[in-house]
Amino acid sequence: MTLSKKVVILGHFGVGKTSLFRRIIDNEFSEEYKVTLGVQIKKKMITLPDGRELSMILWDTEGHSNTVEDTRKSYLLGSHAFIYVFDLTREDTYKNLNQDLEYLTKNYKNVTAKAIGNKLDLVNEKEIKAQLKEQNIPFDCLTSAKMNKNVQDFFSDLASELAK
Amino acid sequence: MNNQIETYQFNPQVQVTKVAYDGSIQETDTTLFNWSKGASIYDAHPFFEILKTFDEANGFDRKQELNFPCIHIEDVNAARICDLTIQPDAKHITIFLYDYTNKYRDLNRIAQQRNESILIGRELELKNKYLIEKEEFKNSFIANINHEIRTPLTSILGFVEVLEKTQLNFEQEELSRIIKRESLHLNALIDDMVDISKIESGKLKIVEERFAFQDLIDGFNETYAKVAQEKGILFETEIESSIQEYVIGDRTRVYQILNNLINNAFKFTEEGKIKFTVSKNYQRTNKLSLSFRIEDTGIGIHEENVPHLFERFTRFNHDKQITGTGLGLAIVKNLVDLLNGEIKVESVPDIGTIFNLKLPFKFEVTKNTTIERKKKKYSLPKSKNKFRILLVEDEEITQYLVMKILIAQSTYFVDIAINGEHAIKYIERRKYDLILMDLTISKLDGFQTTQMIRNNYGDKFISEVPIIGFSGKADNNARDKCIRSGMDDFIAKPFEQEELLYKITKQIAKKAAE
Repeated sequence: MTLSKKVVILGHFGVGKTSLFRRIIDNEFSEEYKVTLGVQIKKKMITLPDGRELSMILWDTEGHSNTVEDTRKSYLLGSHAFIYVFDLTREDTYKNLNQDLEYLTKNYKNVTAKAIGNKLDLVNEKEIKAQLKEQNIPFDCLTSAKMNKNVQDFFSDLASELAK
Repeated sequence: MNNQIETYQFNPQVQVTKVAYDGSIQETDTTLFNWSKGASIYDAHPFFEILKTFDEANGFDRKQELNFPCIHIEDVNAARICDLTIQPDAKHITIFLYDYTNKYRDLNRIAQQRNESILIGRELELKNKYLIEKEEFKNSFIANINHEIRTPLTSILGFVEVLEKTQLNFEQEELSRIIKRESLHLNALIDDMVDISKIESGKLKIVEERFAFQDLIDGFNETYAKVAQEKGILFETEIESSIQEYVIGDRTRVYQILNNLINNAFKFTEEGKIKFTVSKNYQRTNKLSLSFRIEDTGIGIHEENVPHLFERFTRFNHDKQITGTGLGLAIVKNLVDLLNGEIKVESVPDIGTIFNLKLPFKFEVTKNTTIERKKKKYSLPKSKNKFRILLVEDEEITQYLVMKILIAQSTYFVDIAINGEHAIKYIERRKYDLILMDLTISKLDGFQTTQMIRNNYGDKFISEVPIIGFSGKADNNARDKCIRSGMDDFIAKPFEQEELLYKITKQIAKKAAE
């Protein structure tokens, strides 16, 4: 039987949530910024290392301006994982990351929460890692949707984790 | 339920679908999407997979109505943005789809504009921050490299001067001349880099001072007449006689602009003449606008290159014999702008170039007295003994150079202190006629050491000893800072032997006259 898991992509507007969504679903990227209103939902079939198939239902949500609490509650219901995306070039998109992750883990128990720093192609990886460490900003992965860097691996690892 | 579906069927924007908990569609209309009875709702769109999780374990209450606004639903026939209401009961789930595509698309345009303007603003902030950081780095780099290069350059120029005074054969003289010329060129390049960096960072301040304008022009005449003679061309200067002898303006910058333009004319003119004309543009109350025209019969510039003439590192002539930093005219343009003047250029290839420059000045309406600004001559007071000088300097090469220059005069004894503390010990032990103080020595710097000398001793031989500061960080501030800290004069590295000796003589003579 195919496993089905709901994964919600969250974060400030303009951080590249839709770019990651499009990269993993259609392996496409566009430089053009298009705002997402509400939520768009697509399914991605991922083959697990043991050969099983996992159907990842990805919810690409509208970006918020302040905190994750602004995201509509109904979008988060029944989730198995949250991917909190932030923009490595915009500090304001991750300055509340700790509080936002705390809110998610506190209010949505048993839901995996991951933090992704996107737009790695625009920064120096070594410097940004040091900066995030210094600012005590946790992250699970740094990606570039544009360059398709670490995106596939991140979703494969997440699928494996959700299948456990 | 059937009634509900029938009612909504009259509304072209609403679709009602009833599904069982296994996902099979029990009833539906096809107002928005063409779904069929008996098909699985899970195949209609991935959104509906959420119905699989509709149990209490997942936080759902089967009696609770749920609303999902602004969901993008698409199938092969349609793409719509809908609000969805889900009403579960014990056996079924009823789904209401309200099509608000048009409303949301309108909202989308507004949100797009809002977010884009915020993102563009942030991007500009980031670019601005990056540019500021880059500019700061550039300026600090130039300041450091300036200091690092000037110190060895002082030694090179100083030793070449020493070398020139020895018995040299023709070849050695020629080689020494080349070393000097190239060192001076390097020095000019550093000056230009520092200037352009200061101008661009807004750190260059324009000063207003009364100066002998006629002398300034005479100086050009004197300097360039010799150059013209060597090149076999003519140099003519014409100055309108009604122009005031003294004007108020930034003498250093006016000199720099005119010198750059005249020097440039000489570089590119191999035959014919260079004419330098100064005339009055207008004069009102105490304001004066002067026109300067530098006309040459040189190689000229092609019309398409004229707009790029004042850009940095622009060179249209690739003749390696013609040296230049590529910064001269960029500095000229920047300085003219800073002085609120204007500059225009006309040029015809192989005929020549004319630079027309207008600069504003002021003049004192009532003051007729003239100030003698020519270098006053000083000579050392008569003494049976040699004059004793303390050189406070930590760089061996500069110590050696200054020693060599002073000892060659046969009138000086020189002691060397390598830092500020060392200098203090020396002055407590011995009487000095003058101290040459490097500003960047260790322990105590030149300013601190001077202040200690001036403030901590009752003995006037110590506290009033003439002190000349010197440094590779040559700018107007360095001199002012030296004077403020109690020094008597300042000399910038690289210095010329003649200038060093002149300043030492002047200070010792002044002290003796007191």
